[in-house]
Order: sequence, then C-alpha cells, then structure tokens
Amino acid sequence: MKRAVVICPGRGTYNKAELGYLARHFPDSELLAEFDDQRRAKGQETVCALDGAERFSMAKHTRGDNASALIFASSLGDFLSIDREQIEIVAVTGNSMGWYTTLACAGAVSAGDGFRIANTMGTLMQENLVGGQLVYPFVDEDWRIDLSRRMEVLAAIEEIQAKPDAQLFISIELGGMLVLAGDDAGLKAFEEAVEPVQDRFPLRLANHAAFHTPLVEHVSRMGRDALPVSLFQNPAIPMIDGRGSIWWPHACDMDALHDYTLRTQVVETYDFSHAVRIAAQEFAPDLFIVAGPGNTLGGAVAQSLIMANWDELDSKQAFQAHQASASPILASMGLEEQRANVCG
Amino acid sequence: MDRVSIVHENFLRRVAAGDFPEGAGPCGTLSDAQAVSIYRSACLSRALDRVSRTMQSRGQGFYTIGSSGHEAMAAVAAALSPKDMAFLHYRDAAFQIERSKQVPGQSIAWDMLLSFACSSEDPISGGRHKVLGSKALNIPPQTSTISSHLPKAVGAAYSIGAARRNRPEHCVLDDDAIVICSFGDASANHSTAQGAFNTAQWTSYQSSPLPLLFVCEDNGIGISTKTPAGWIAATFAARESLEYFSANGLDIYDTYDAASEAAEFVRKRRKPAFLHLSMVRLYGHAGADLATSYLPRAEVEAQEANDPLLHTVRLLDEAGALEHEEALQIYLESEARVERVAAHAEKRPRLQTAEQVMASLIPPKRECAPSNGPDAAARKAMLADDAKAMGSPQIMSRLINFALADLMLEHEEIVLMGEDVGRKGGVYGVTQKLSKRFGRARVIDTLLDEQSILGLGIGMAHNGFLPMPEIQFLAYLHNAEDQLRGEAATLPFFSNGQFTNPMVVRIAGLGYQKGFGGHFHNDNSVAVLRDIPGLILACPSNGSDAAKMLRECVRLAREEQRLVVFLEPIALYPMRDLHEQGDGLWLQTYPDPSERIGFGEIGQHGEGKDLAIVTFGNGTYHSCQAQKQLEDSGIATRVIDLRWLSPLPEQAMLEATKDCAHVLVVDETRRTGGIAEALMALCAENGVTSLARHTAEDSFIATGPAYGATMPSSDSILAAAKGLIEAGS
Repeated sequence: MKRAVVICPGRGTYNKAELGYLARHFPDSELLAEFDDQRRAKGQETVCALDGAERFSMAKHTRGDNASALIFASSLGDFLSIDREQIEIVAVTGNSMGWYTTLACAGAVSAGDGFRIANTMGTLMQENLVGGQLVYPFVDEDWRIDLSRRMEVLAAIEEIQAKPDAQLFISIELGGMLVLAGDDAGLKAFEEAVEPVQDRFPLRLANHAAFHTPLVEHVSRMGRDALPVSLFQNPAIPMIDGRGSIWWPHACDMDALHDYTLRTQVVETYDFSHAVRIAAQEFAPDLFIVAGPGNTLGGAVAQSLIMANWDELDSKQAFQAHQASASPILASMGLEEQRANVCG
Repeated sequence: MDRVSIVHENFLRRVAAGDFPEGAGPCGTLSDAQAVSIYRSACLSRALDRVSRTMQSRGQGFYTIGSSGHEAMAAVAAALSPKDMAFLHYRDAAFQIERSKQVPGQSIAWDMLLSFACSSEDPISGGRHKVLGSKALNIPPQTSTISSHLPKAVGAAYSIGAARRNRPEHCVLDDDAIVICSFGDASANHSTAQGAFNTAQWTSYQSSPLPLLFVCEDNGIGISTKTPAGWIAATFAARESLEYFSANGLDIYDTYDAASEAAEFVRKRRKPAFLHLSMVRLYGHAGADLATSYLPRAEVEAQEANDPLLHTVRLLDEAGALEHEEALQIYLESEARVERVAAHAEKRPRLQTAEQVMASLIPPKRECAPSNGPDAAARKAMLADDAKAMGSPQIMSRLINFALADLMLEHEEIVLMGEDVGRKGGVYGVTQKLSKRFGRARVIDTLLDEQSILGLGIGMAHNGFLPMPEIQFLAYLHNAEDQLRGEAATLPFFSNGQFTNPMVVRIAGLGYQKGFGGHFHNDNSVAVLRDIPGLILACPSNGSDAAKMLRECVRLAREEQRLVVFLEPIALYPMRDLHEQGDGLWLQTYPDPSERIGFGEIGQHGEGKDLAIVTFGNGTYHSCQAQKQLEDSGIATRVIDLRWLSPLPEQAMLEATKDCAHVLVVDETRRTGGIAEALMALCAENGVTSLARHTAEDSFIATGPAYGATMPSSDSILAAAKGLIEAGS
C-alpha cells in the first residue's frame, strides 16, 4: 500500500488539451448531473456542455464562472478515480481554488457543496472582476533558485506598493514562481521594472483577477454571505491549507474553517510551496498525486520539494532521476501514463 | 517486555475492548473539536516518545526523556495563546504540539524529530541539544532539570507591566500577554524554584503587576524519590499572593477548565497563580531508568493503568466527541506517521565540527534604531546638579554614576535592578540619584536574592529591555551563578541565536578594602566567570576607563546582544591618590559621552622596555605605584592594563609586551584558577622567556589589618619585578 498526498490544482489548468476531460475521466455520472443541476439552477451552462464543447474557447472556458466549475469537477473526479485499494491517501492539499476541491476531497464539505463553493466563488470573482495576475520565476530553466532575483522581485513589489496609485501583492508562492496580483497600474509597473526572462515572463494570466489579495475583500464578503458555515463538517482526511496549516479530522472548528476558506485564503497570500513542504515533512508520503486537469502544477510541486530539500531532492536532475526510478515521487493524473499508475 | 511496550499494548488492548480506567465524566467548557485536537496532540507526543526510543536503538536518536503521562499539558496550551511566552518543563512536548496548531504553517512532528536526531536543521537548537522550544511559538528553549528557568519567568512576567509604561524597541510581548512556566513536583522544592515563587509573591504582594502562571506537573516522584503524598497542595494551596488552582491532570476537560480559569485570573488580575496538575509518570524517568528497580511493580502497574490517554479516550467517547474505535485509529495513524517522518528526519545532516557547534555561542547582532543621543537641553536639565562635578576630576564611583546617567538618558530600555540600588543609591553610591532621575520603574530595588535579581534581568531581556542588574558584592554572585552559566549564557547556544538575553551585570568586587568586610565583601575570585562561553568580563582600573568601558559594554549588549559582566573594583571606587596623599593622580575627569574603549582594547601606562607588568583592576593601581619605584631604580617599566578579562585580549597583550625584556604578571585573583594561569600559558606558548607571576595566595581575605596580606602590594610587586630581572639577567 502506498501512502499519498493528493494535490488539487488551481485556475488555469483546464485548457484546450483538457476539453472532454470530464467525459473521459469523471467516474460518477450522478454526481456530475448534480453539478449540472446546480449550474442550470443558476442559469449557467452545464459543466458537461462546457466540457463537451466542440471547440475550446479561451473566452468562455477560462472565465472564472466556467473555469472554476470545470476544474473543480475534473479534480474531484480524479480524486475519486484513485485506486484506494492500492493507495492510502494520508492528506489532501491544493493550490488556490484547489483549496475548495481539497475540502470536497477530504470530506469537509460534500461533493455538491464543494461544487457550490467553487462555482459561487468563481462566479463572484467573474462578476466582480478586479485586477489581474502575472507569473514571474525566481528559478532558471533548470530550477536553480536565484535568491538574488527573488530579493529583487520583492524589492520591486515593495517599491510599487509604496506608489499611491498602484497596488501589487504576492498572490501565490508557487514553487520557483511567484504569482503576483494587483491592479493594472501595479502589474504594469512590475512588468516595466523587471527583466524579461525565459522568453515569456513576466506572464499575464488571462481572465484571472487579483486573487489572494485585499483587492478582492468585497468578493470574500459576498462569499461569506452566500455560503453558510453549515456547509462545513469535519473532514475524513487531513487537509493542508494555503498557509501550511493542517486541518485534522474530528478536530476542526467549523467557524474557523468557514472563515479561513471564505476570508483568509481569499484575501491573503496563498503559500502553495509551504503547503507542499508541510505535506512532505508532516506526512512523509511515498507519492504526491497531482489531480487533473492539466499537468502544469507538477513543476511547482517538484520545485517546492527541492526547496524543502525533501528526500535528497536537491535539483531538477535529482527529481527527474527519482521520477525515472521504479518509485517516482510524483504522479500527475493529467498525464495518461502517470494516471494509470494511480487508478485502478 | 519493556514498560514502553507494556503501556502501548495495554492501550491497544483496552481501547479495543472498551475497558477504561474509572473517572469523572466529561464536564466543562471544552468543545468536541478542541478535545479531539488535544487528544491528537497527546497521541503525537506519545508516538514521539516511543519513536525516540527506536531511533536511539538504531543509533539515530539521542534523547529519550519523554512526556508520557504528562499529555494533559496540551489542554494547558489550548487554554493559552501563543502570545503568552512559555518556559517549559522538559516533559511538555504535548504543550508545544498543541500550541503549534495555534500558529499557521508549523511542521511540529518534523521539527521535533529533527531535534531527536540532533540534526543541524533542527529549527530550535540547530542540532545542539534536544530541547523543547520554538521562536514562532514563543517558547524559549530550556534544558533545565532543576527549575533554574523559574527566576527568568518571573522576570519576563514583570517585564510585561514595565513595557506598558516604557515599551522598548525590541519588545516582543503584548500588553495583555502572560507568562507560563512549568516544572515538576520534585523540582518545585529546589531553592531556585522557591526563590522564584517567593519573588513572585513578594512582587505581587506590593501590587506590582506580575502576570505569571506557574504550572506544577505533579507526578509524585522525582527520578526515584517520592514526593510526600499531598505535599504540593499542602505547601502551595495557601501562599500569600499566589492564587492556587488545581485539576486532575489525567482529565483533559478538568485540566482545560482549571487552566482557563487560572489563565484568566492571571491575565485579568495581573497577579501570579499556581496551577497544580496531578499526573502520572510512565516509563520511568528517562530511557535507561527502570522504575521497577525502586518501586513495587504493582505501583508501576497502577500508574500505567491510569494512562491519561486511556482516560482521554474514555472522556471523548462519553462526550460523544469521538468513538473509541476512532480514537484507536488516530493513535495508530499518529505512530505510523511519526515513524515515516522519522525515517526521513534521521537522514538530515548533523553538526560535525567544533566550529559548527560553537557558531551560536555568540548571538547575532541586531539592528537598533539610530540615535543622536539625548536632547542636549534635557540632558543639561537632568544632570544640572552634577554639571560642575562632571568638569572636574572625580573618583571612579562618581564617574560610573555619571556614565550610567548618560546611558539611561540615551537608552530608555536600560533598567537597573539590585539590592539598594534605588533609594539608597547603592552601598557605595554608584547609583545615586538615578532612581530620582529615571523613576523607580527603571531603578528597581529588589528583594535580597541574587538568583531573582539575575532572573529579573534575564527575563526582562527576553522582552527587549536592556537590564543592568547589580550584584552588591562578588561573593554574593556565587549563590546565583548558574543564572549566568546555565541560563543566560546558554540561551543563544541552545536557540541557535534566535533567543537572546543581552545585559550588563554590574558586580562590585575584588579586594583591598582597607580592613572592611573580610572575604564576603572582598572576594577576589573570578574563575567562575571566566570559563563561561560567550560571556564578556570587563574590569576597569580607573574612573575614566570605567565610564568608557561601561559605554562599550552597553553597546555590546544592546547592538550585539552580548552577555557582559562589568566587575567594578570596590577599593578603587573612592581612590584619589596614587603615590602620596593629595597627589590626586587616580582622579579622572568625566570623558565625553562619545568616547568609548573598544572591546579588547588594552591600556598602557609608560613605554619602558625593561619590564612589562601585565595586570588589571587593583593590580594596575598597585603596579603603577611600583612602576615609579622601578623607574627610580633604573628599570624602564610599562604597565599593561588588560581591562577585558574574558575573553582575554591575547593578541593585544602579546603585541604590547613583545619589545620588553621581561614580563611580570600581577594578578590579584588566586594563584589557583586565577587569571595569571592563562596569561602565563599564553606567554609561554608565544615564546616569552623571562616571565614570572605574582598572584594572590590561595586563601580567603581576612578582616582587619591583614586585609591585604594575601594579595599583591606595590612593595611585593616591586620585589617580584626585581627578582624576575635578576633571575633573567
């Protein structure tokens, strides 16, 4: 029996290649129908319809109200597809909106209520769109950490924050990347301040808002109004949140969990790197399973493990060697061959 | 089967069978989620205890004193806040685990296992020692087995009230914080502990705020010696100004409520309280200790039958918070998890070299807000009645007094404490006027207990103050020396420089008071201060040096977080003349506040090359007297004043003597264990060939006419110098 920590991805992971992901992989059609009922009730296009669209539409599929629902459903479906006869799931964590999926995977909310939370928050974000996000790395292509670059980035953020007409924050600590969020002036100022690297960074994320910053405080407030504490219950599996705190079965305070989910993590930096570090150090799993859709989170997980110097993983090469061994440490369910290793 | 396995097997068997020890049902305010959280912390603590033993058996773990039986301390943590600084008993892993849940993002199992493994990545001690402690959790590390952490807990609690009036730049405790300090029933009897209880009571009795919660974990035995039944309650239940609370430490509901009530009392009333928890000790004292070798087996088994984890499972079940099958599952999962994590933790690197071990003996420097010194007008107004004296030659005690006034004026975080330092202004007047000028909150007249004086300093330093405790006489240090050796000096070492207690301890000492006092007022031994790693020992020989060195000592403490002892030679406090009455050659004018003598910078009187006399303190004075006679005899002499006695300014001393034909070490401390031993070795190792020492005898100091008989005098220095030169010619 292998012990695994499951990691649920955030926004930006359902792209063209993922079209049809639910149709291909979602294991519980009744549950999917329940999600679709919720969408219909709100006058939204169903996830099945979105997933079954003929063509991927950037404008449609990556909008907050649609993307959140698609990603939540895809990830939860993957979680439900894991072969529990072979794999014991010792903890669940996630990146950004992956926290909502984490809640459902761990049983801290029902699958339907998890969908309600993800869909509601995604919709509220879309309806009250403010600011945006960009990504900038402090590692090179070989994932070597450049601390001086990180310091420069932090200094640039501080400088921009000091300007009266610009807002910029660290939105997500994402392995060797920083996801920054702010208003347009803040993002522009950052883009002008730093050197372009690796041909694509700083990279703006289309259809994203200033998640995990005080700029979305109003969305958080609306979320708390719309989603009562009664949705929450004790999880069956430990959950690691975006601060690296562990929520243990039978030991959760529901008000605290509600507050964290709909206030703290919405308006404060989401430290995914630390969540991965804590997953490793406190659960020492044999395997990290990144649920789909997509496979873009694997790099951030690997970088986080390298930054934690976990299990003698001290470089990209060491990680790749570990992956090539008989017992790889990471399985991305968005990749068919790796998916096969964790599904029955 | 060993007792650890027996307790484990008992737990598995009895929980599975629903066979629990009897006890009161769950009652009080603990919520289901909190109760399960506490149980989880208890299970993790228990698992760590067990795994520490398997790690040791694999040669991968190095500490096995456990917390088994004391897991209810998790309930105490749940009743407190991480804002409340905690000085913990070594059986309090469950407290630290539960507190880790109150601060986001902690890796408590990993951290503790790194500590068991003595990995250099252990986040508290850097692999130097298994200690409980965490900067993030506001738990300074303690290694104490003898309650030597209690006096500083009193000091830290006192600092909270002091900081309300005068918040220091590096303050860490909030105004509404309290301090918690835990210990066992056996060490509650220690004189250090008793001194701390008394000081807390004495302080609170006169209505000074002292928000301190003592927690006595009474398992009824200290290694093999039993605490008399009922002793802790009998001796603590009715103490003046120390509110007593008690609970059954096998019952997390009862413990939580009592701890909450006690904490609320301390927090609201700002008065000390004593929480008495009855517990059991499982597995004996430590790994190698077999309780059955000194206790009847039936008694050991009776303790084991009252395993607090069994009681907790029963209580959770009765409360409907957790069924006992689920509780068993949590216990098993915790152990499996700890074993998995341990397998990784024991692969992490360990310290290897002396340099690595010693890296945190000296704490890191800290940033202090820049200052242009006190406002000139304010200084003039405050020091107006000393203005004239500041411009004319003065005795040493006056110049130290002026320097203290200037330092206190410039650095508001400086607080003086000691016997008679306030209203009286010190036995020798060194602290005169300071209480009036700076208030009683900054010049504290303490009770008569040196451990409490140093504890007050150490504790206040934990909260950002810059304490300058005074020990009235050097001989009085010895009953309290462990507060420097075992506590203050080790704090940066065991916390990898994360916790510090910088301060300047002023001690009046050394001999030569003409016929006054005898040994206890003229102690001439500093050996006990010289081998403490990281401690700086300074000793001036004249007033100007004293003022300038004291400023450097304060800078070292304030900016470099160093622990400094400033040894003031009492006999030189009033000294005016050097060679003859009325020559005024030992009077000095107060140096400008900008002037300092740097750490390690030595003094030199004269340029003679025939002879170098290497000395310090009173020895400098007597050597300068002898110097004149030597010069008159045609022996060109220089007197080297070391000023810094630990660490010795070795290179500066060697440099200052290298062109001299002969070197005489004059040491007013004893021949055995005195400073001369180190200086002789240093000179010999560095090729000084014509070398001798002249020291005090291995004796105590007499009262009356023979007060100086056992110590060097100008005449005996003269004779020793001539003897050396004759022998070397």
